[in-house]
Amino acid sequence: MENPVELLQGTLDMLILKAVSLGGLHGYGVLLRLQQLTGGQLQIQQGSLYPALYRLENKRLITSEWGESENKRKAKFYTLTAAGRKQLRAETDLWNRFSDLVAGVLGAIPEES
Amino acid sequence: MKLFRRKQFESDMDAELRFHIDIYIEDLVRLGIDRGEAERRAGIEFGALEATKDECRQAWGLRRIDELRADLRLTLRTLGKNPGFAAVAILSLALGIGANTAIFGLVDAAMLRILPVSDPGGLVFVQNAGAQGVNGGPPYPCFELLRDKAKSFEGVAAFSASNMELVIDRGRELAQGVWVSGNFYQLLGVKPLIGRTLSGSDDQTPGKGGPDGAVAVISHAYWQRRFGGDTAVVGRTIRMFEHTVTIVGVMPPEFMSLEPGRPIDIAAPMMLSNPVMLRERGSWWLEVVARLKPGVRAEQARAESDAMFQAYMMDVTISPAIRKLAFDRIELAPAARGMDRLRRQFSKPLTALMILVCLVLLAASANVANLMLARAAARQREFAVRLAIGAGRGRLIRQTLTEALVLVGAGSALGIALAHEGETALAAFFAEGGNKIILDLSLNGRMLLFTLSVSVATGLAFGLLPALRAARVDPAAGLQLGSRSVAGSRPTLRLGRALVIMQVALSTVLLAGAGLFIRSLRQLESVDLGFTRQGILTMEVTPERELYGKPEWLRLQREILDRVGRMPGVRSASWSTMSPLGGRDRGVIVDVATFVPRTETDKDIHLVSVSPEYFETFGVPLLAGRAFTARDDRTAPKAAILNGTAAHFYFGDANPVGKKVRFARVPGDPVYEVVGVIKDVKHESLREPPPRFIYLPIPQSIDRINRLALAVRSSGDGMELAAPVRKEVQSARSTLLITNVSTMEKQVRLSLMRERLVSTLSMTFGALALVLAGIGLYGILAYAVTRRTNEIGIRMALGATKGGVVRSVLGEALALAGSGIAIGVPAALALGRVAKALLYGVQPFDVPAFGWTVLLLLVFAALAGIVPARRASRLDPMSSLRSE
Repeated sequence: MENPVELLQGTLDMLILKAVSLGGLHGYGVLLRLQQLTGGQLQIQQGSLYPALYRLENKRLITSEWGESENKRKAKFYTLTAAGRKQLRAETDLWNRFSDLVAGVLGAIPEES
Repeated sequence: MKLFRRKQFESDMDAELRFHIDIYIEDLVRLGIDRGEAERRAGIEFGALEATKDECRQAWGLRRIDELRADLRLTLRTLGKNPGFAAVAILSLALGIGANTAIFGLVDAAMLRILPVSDPGGLVFVQNAGAQGVNGGPPYPCFELLRDKAKSFEGVAAFSASNMELVIDRGRELAQGVWVSGNFYQLLGVKPLIGRTLSGSDDQTPGKGGPDGAVAVISHAYWQRRFGGDTAVVGRTIRMFEHTVTIVGVMPPEFMSLEPGRPIDIAAPMMLSNPVMLRERGSWWLEVVARLKPGVRAEQARAESDAMFQAYMMDVTISPAIRKLAFDRIELAPAARGMDRLRRQFSKPLTALMILVCLVLLAASANVANLMLARAAARQREFAVRLAIGAGRGRLIRQTLTEALVLVGAGSALGIALAHEGETALAAFFAEGGNKIILDLSLNGRMLLFTLSVSVATGLAFGLLPALRAARVDPAAGLQLGSRSVAGSRPTLRLGRALVIMQVALSTVLLAGAGLFIRSLRQLESVDLGFTRQGILTMEVTPERELYGKPEWLRLQREILDRVGRMPGVRSASWSTMSPLGGRDRGVIVDVATFVPRTETDKDIHLVSVSPEYFETFGVPLLAGRAFTARDDRTAPKAAILNGTAAHFYFGDANPVGKKVRFARVPGDPVYEVVGVIKDVKHESLREPPPRFIYLPIPQSIDRINRLALAVRSSGDGMELAAPVRKEVQSARSTLLITNVSTMEKQVRLSLMRERLVSTLSMTFGALALVLAGIGLYGILAYAVTRRTNEIGIRMALGATKGGVVRSVLGEALALAGSGIAIGVPAALALGRVAKALLYGVQPFDVPAFGWTVLLLLVFAALAGIVPARRASRLDPMSSLRSE
């Protein structure tokens, strides 16, 4: 197995939005889904999820609701808001353009002289 | 909201994080890791719990609120520890803000307030205008034309204030009334409180009214005062002049008529007023108000009304010159704030007061800024420590600003309470006397908004300076130095001195202003009235209508003078159609054969009809010829007396006695012989020189005699005779209506109401500023002495005497005061020039006013310096040297 990849600065919010967009999750669920989606290759400090979740909720991009978890415990579930959906779309778009750009630059072949 | 859900937030956050860790542990256990190891790994992989929580709080936006709370707590604690500081600061602010709120309330009530009618912006007054400016609306027939034909208006209404003679429960009484066209209240969109309001159908037939007969509505205040708020008043009938009138409604407390400040008791339809006036095409007694149709521009409406007015004026007989002066054209004026009588009367004094009160606030703010500075300086060590252990400079600035805003908040709250007290006193000031002005000075939203913005502005203004200064502390230097030397940092002291000098300058302006206003008032109070004011009782006596102009009324007048004349303490009694400063006037036109008028107004003269005793009762000196006697009766040759101004105007230096004057406009073209000249008597106001006056004997008057003023000169102050004279008059005839009982001294005082208002308030503000400057001076001197403890110790050790030390401190006090005065005097002069219209008999540079100001300030400065000076002189050289 390769070494886990460190999270790029500023991308956590986007990943959380994506994770939550696939269906309501509690914080631990977000973590599991991100690990699942990345094949366990992404290194996330577990605690750092929460300030990000709180920040997103404070910005009204996600909302929370107390509910019951799979193992019958009270847990806080997050879902995407309309604003969050829009934000996710915008960020995805931006990220795709950015990564194409970076890939283009890095993939440049030296010109033959 | 976030503030109050704090506990909930914390427990939710705990539960959420706990859930995460717990479930992770369980998952690890399920994978076969033993529980102890699982817990350890979960803890490590989660990261520092408390740090995470704090980041969550910050992400949620709670950090700012937490800090604000901490700031507030710290502020309250530090203020609690320095009650003296807090008290002086809060009280200074309360006085400054309170005075501002009170005066703004007055400005609001008298000048700014929009009337509580529907869509006030669409209302306009339709007014006659000419070279002399605007005055009132067109005559009644022209109003009817506008109401029925003008296409620019949704509606046109008329009104005219008038005294109403009422008989309620068989007693005659006088009420303040207003004649209104039937559509008046509907046009304004005012709904009655109980019953119904007047309508167009109530105003159809002259002398009758409408289908319900003669009706009227009463004001809320009159309903409370006269009928005790009894709802059964609706449907009650009363006599109003010669009509039996049914009261059909009570109007709401906030609206009765369109004249702000004028209390109106009762409103009745135009058709019940004098039918002659309604018919006359050249009687100018109405005010006309109209509502513009939506989309119609004011200029369009003006042009239309003017065209109708010009057509109407074609068959009105009026001299072209008079027409040019006053009735040349129609102009429209916005009516949202009602008629501008009050605004015209008070705009200058209120502007002056508003300026003065702002200066007071500035002085108060300077005081607080100085206190804050001193405190910030004293706390530099604390700030240095906080900076050194990691506080941000922004936090320190915020802390200081919080403190300032807390002080301002407390100051404003107290200030509003003070303003409320002040408003009561001010309202009483206005409500005094016969022509009382009723202002609603209760707090309203606009006033609170004003206070709030003033407070926040002051808070920021004086809080920011110390705050920035506090944040400039260098932690290293601050920690190294002893507390005392830090407290004395030079820039702080320099800034403090500048603030104190500003305070003294402001006090100079306020005190000098107060001096000028007080001296003006004194001048006015001692102005030569032309009559002796002491001991004259006056009252107005109105007979029933049937007696107007009848010989029986003349006989009754004689009988009353005889009866009153016999009363103990009475020296003289007389009748006249009006008394000086009584607010009434009568203008006529006179022709003098030898005099060629240059303008139409040269023929104007004011007329008073008097009984023979009049000049004696008022103590008016005779300059030439004779006074009237009982022989100048109906059948005798017609006699007239002129005042000095009129005699000189018409006859120059020639002796007017024996000359003839003619009233060409009066039926019969009567000619009167001038038999005497009396000294000028102030009539309308104490400021204006008296205009031309002609006096006629009551039996020979060109006017029909109805209401008369009775004047009684006594050996006392006059008022003690009020009840006995009233009784005597009514025992001559019980139905005589007696109103406006007063004394000439009181009339003089009332006519100076504006001047007294301005001088009383400016004196109060001056005193306030003086005290504030005193506190400021004391503060800065005490502070300077503390700072100089070392230096003074050294000086004394080297042989300086106690006297020398006292002199040096007092010298500083006087130097500060002197600098302030040097700035304040020119500023006061400049303001005095601006306020010249409010002054009387005093130049802006009035030596006594400025002399007293300077003296007072120097005395206060010396007083403020004495305590610190003595403390300095009592310093023990040894201990003060050791104090470092």
